[in-house]
Amino acid sequence: MRATPRACAMLGLAIGAAPQPGSVLAAEILAEPPSDLIVTVYRAPYRNGGSIDLDDLQGFALVSETRIVHLPAGRSRLRFEGVADGIEPASAIITGFPGGVIEKNRDARLLSPAALIASTLGKPVELLRTIRKTGKTERLTGTLLSDAGGGVVFKTSQGIEALRCSGLPETFSFEPVSGLSARPTLSVEVRSPRAETKQVTLSYLSRGFDWAADYTVTLSDDGKSFELGAWVTLANSNGVGFPSAHTQVVAGTVNRANGEEEVEPIDIGGPILARCWPRGSTSDVSEIRMFKLAHDDLKANAPMPMAMRVGSLQEVVVTGAKKVQQEQLGDLKLYRVPERTTLASRQSKQVRLMDRSSIPVYTVYGAEVDVEEDDAVSTPAHRLLRTKNTAANHLGLPLPSGSVAVFGAVQGLRLLENESDLRDIAVDEEVEINMGESPDVQVTANKEKVSVDPAQDMPPLVPGVSLRSVKIGTANRVAISNARPTDVQFELRLQLEPGARVVRADHRLGTKNGRPIFRLRVPAHETVTVRYQIQRTDDRILRTP
Amino acid sequence: MRLPLIFMACSAWFLAASAWPADRTLSVTIYADDLALVQDRRDIDVKEGRQRIEFQEVSGQIRPETVSLAAADISIIEQNFDFDLLTPAKLMEKAVGQEITIVRVNPATGAETREQAQVLATNGGVVLKIGQRIEVLRDDGLPVRVIFSKVPDNLRARPTLSVSIIGAHAGTRRATLSYLTPGLGWKADYVALYNESDAKIDVQGWVTLTNSSGTTYDNAQTLLVAGSPSQVDGAANNYRPSPRRSTLQVPGTESGNRERLGDYYLYPLAERTTIANLQTKQVSFLDVHGVPAEHGYEFRNRWLGTAETPVSAKSIYSFSTSAHAGLGDQLPAGILRFYMRDKRGDPQFIGESRIDHTPMGSTLSLTTGDAFDVKVHAVVEKRTRIATFDWQTDMRYELTNALPRSVVVKLRQEGLWGDSSIKAESQKSTRSSAEVAEWAVTVPANGKATLTASFETRY
Repeated sequence: MRATPRACAMLGLAIGAAPQPGSVLAAEILAEPPSDLIVTVYRAPYRNGGSIDLDDLQGFALVSETRIVHLPAGRSRLRFEGVADGIEPASAIITGFPGGVIEKNRDARLLSPAALIASTLGKPVELLRTIRKTGKTERLTGTLLSDAGGGVVFKTSQGIEALRCSGLPETFSFEPVSGLSARPTLSVEVRSPRAETKQVTLSYLSRGFDWAADYTVTLSDDGKSFELGAWVTLANSNGVGFPSAHTQVVAGTVNRANGEEEVEPIDIGGPILARCWPRGSTSDVSEIRMFKLAHDDLKANAPMPMAMRVGSLQEVVVTGAKKVQQEQLGDLKLYRVPERTTLASRQSKQVRLMDRSSIPVYTVYGAEVDVEEDDAVSTPAHRLLRTKNTAANHLGLPLPSGSVAVFGAVQGLRLLENESDLRDIAVDEEVEINMGESPDVQVTANKEKVSVDPAQDMPPLVPGVSLRSVKIGTANRVAISNARPTDVQFELRLQLEPGARVVRADHRLGTKNGRPIFRLRVPAHETVTVRYQIQRTDDRILRTP
Repeated sequence: MRLPLIFMACSAWFLAASAWPADRTLSVTIYADDLALVQDRRDIDVKEGRQRIEFQEVSGQIRPETVSLAAADISIIEQNFDFDLLTPAKLMEKAVGQEITIVRVNPATGAETREQAQVLATNGGVVLKIGQRIEVLRDDGLPVRVIFSKVPDNLRARPTLSVSIIGAHAGTRRATLSYLTPGLGWKADYVALYNESDAKIDVQGWVTLTNSSGTTYDNAQTLLVAGSPSQVDGAANNYRPSPRRSTLQVPGTESGNRERLGDYYLYPLAERTTIANLQTKQVSFLDVHGVPAEHGYEFRNRWLGTAETPVSAKSIYSFSTSAHAGLGDQLPAGILRFYMRDKRGDPQFIGESRIDHTPMGSTLSLTTGDAFDVKVHAVVEKRTRIATFDWQTDMRYELTNALPRSVVVKLRQEGLWGDSSIKAESQKSTRSSAEVAEWAVTVPANGKATLTASFETRY
């Protein structure tokens, strides 16, 4: 026969005892499960391109839940069970109450064996002890004295004992406890003028979400155009799923003021640890080994952090028939998944973002040369695919950041050529996809001593520079070799120290982003050599006449 | 037979519950920087003469050096804060030299044999003296229960504060225990809904309390203090983060009707509240509708900042906290989250920004994030040495706007050090400080604008 607090409270009233001080005056009500859900997923704020990492989702989401509540008149405590475990409680907004919200609470303590022990501390508890041989269980009423340091000490009429130190099967049977819920719970204290049923909306930001755009570029056989397809890949690493939700993703970088350190703690609880006194026996070898064993035991018993328990995401769902719809949201881009969709717990989902074809593209090979470097080592050039995000190019729509996989075709066989990252690209911006190094186009830079005046083959570039005033003993020479069967466009960019400039060159010099650049055409199976001379500021201060 | 059993169990339950004195009043004053002053008034029973009084249910992170106890007709001898915790190992350790009861359980029959034993040592294993023999506890692995007769005096389940006092006379009296504790803190959280059509915001302010002190404060009268008192041992306070973009454009000069304590503003909670351990609690303190707000763009370029690809401008919202065209309140430090309605009318999050303690009448300018469609490409075009210590730097800023309306970008070139002068510029700049030159560049809808400037710097 166990006495429950409710029975005790009734008995207490019957015998005229004072009500328990500090008790909750407000009636406790549970809100119904969400009837409507909106989930808006935002990218990891600091990731500028690339795919999401399913094991560590750094983005977040705005979750709006519509729930029905049955409010009694007066003050009540309303519990919203089953909110996302990554909830940022400070961001919660609840609308729809007639009498206003008195306060909002998020309780981080979840129902767990360790939390049961902690909340029963100093209170009566029933000890169950079973004799293995007979199967007979002995029940003893006692009081929990301590759960400090991972050991449990309790008191019965026989004296003080420690749990599970005797080698007998022992456990507790607890009185019902309040204030511990199975799932993350948000509660609000509200006051209602009358009893009524209301529809309220709870919105909050939650961690453990992310999304990215994943583009596939399929180059045509001649390499002059490509097809662009893209998926929106979104994922939820929360333990809570969002069935039949309106789902959106938002592109663009939003400011987050919260640092990593400000995540509110959540006590997910742990097992009952019943650590005992030293249990070394006469057959034990050394104390060091004992320590190690104890340490390992500690590690094995320690509650794992949440992230480790989550593990990898389980499921990948692809829906491709309908594309997302884009709309402007302030300075951000919002993409709406056309139909309601279920974003289940620990799931990643893909929705079609776009499909475009016949986008003209041109290929450029490029290399950067640091003029200070002397070594004559050949380095491969980078192959760059360039186009412009305009309607004329069959694009002209915002391209959210993500990863790009480029496919080419060889004898009808589709091959992956390269994977790279893409930043956010607005309409009318240039799109450049770096295809990585191309060993067929090599760049060799070195310096040569100038013994004769090279004025004849290298005309001055900068007007007003007197040839006689420039005394430069060396010229830089860059050789670009092309082993491909076709001519290539080549861009050679120079890295100069501040104030230095190119004074002579045997090819036309341009600038890009404030730096000198040679735009060349390298014929098939040929080598083009560029020679130029640099003047540094410390060579001589020049005044143009 | 049944009723007395219930009654016995219940009386134990009532005893445990009455660990809370019915006449206890708690008041908690929480400062913004993880610090709280707890004042705990309760009736204590005092005997005449010397005695020890224990205070349970104090903060688990209490700073014992700040404890003070005040009650009539007592004199305090000493205060102790016991943090020796009651664990099975400690219990055995303290029993060294003392008698314990061991109960051997026969695994075959379940029969119990009771014996008295003296604990000799607990180094690595428990060594017992039973009669004239020495034995190692449970060396054979067979079940043995150990029963202790009492818990040593200073072993506790939780750290406990005890005070030794001399009572002048016996009787119950009112005592006030006050102490400082970390683990309790608060900050403000604001929700701002921006209405794009009429450029107005609705702002709600919430006080967010967090309690990680290890204790629940029941029915506490709660007062929040905006402002950070200097703490001597607060190591976290010595660290000042590097200066960030100032959100406060114009500091205000207005006073509200909020209660003050010295230079701090006080935010009392209207009703008593229970601050549970590991709980986040929010209470509303501000609700204003239809405050005019301005939306703009800002781009800050560091000195000699040059980019390979265009960089997004920051999206900025600014508004006033003044009593007439603003929020009409001082704002405690916290985070302001901006929302905006999408085409379907659902509010969507568009970014957040931290604000400092802000006086009333101030102008705030807050960043919500990067603008997808408004970008600036800043390039150092040329750097020339014009004299031994004089350099000329030609900058070009290309601004693009993919929005269907024209925008104004506040372009700031920083790092001018006061000795830089602008020799030529395509548009007139303002010099808000010696450090910064600022241009308001209008970028047409779906268009471009170019700004060039030539700086002369001494080096």
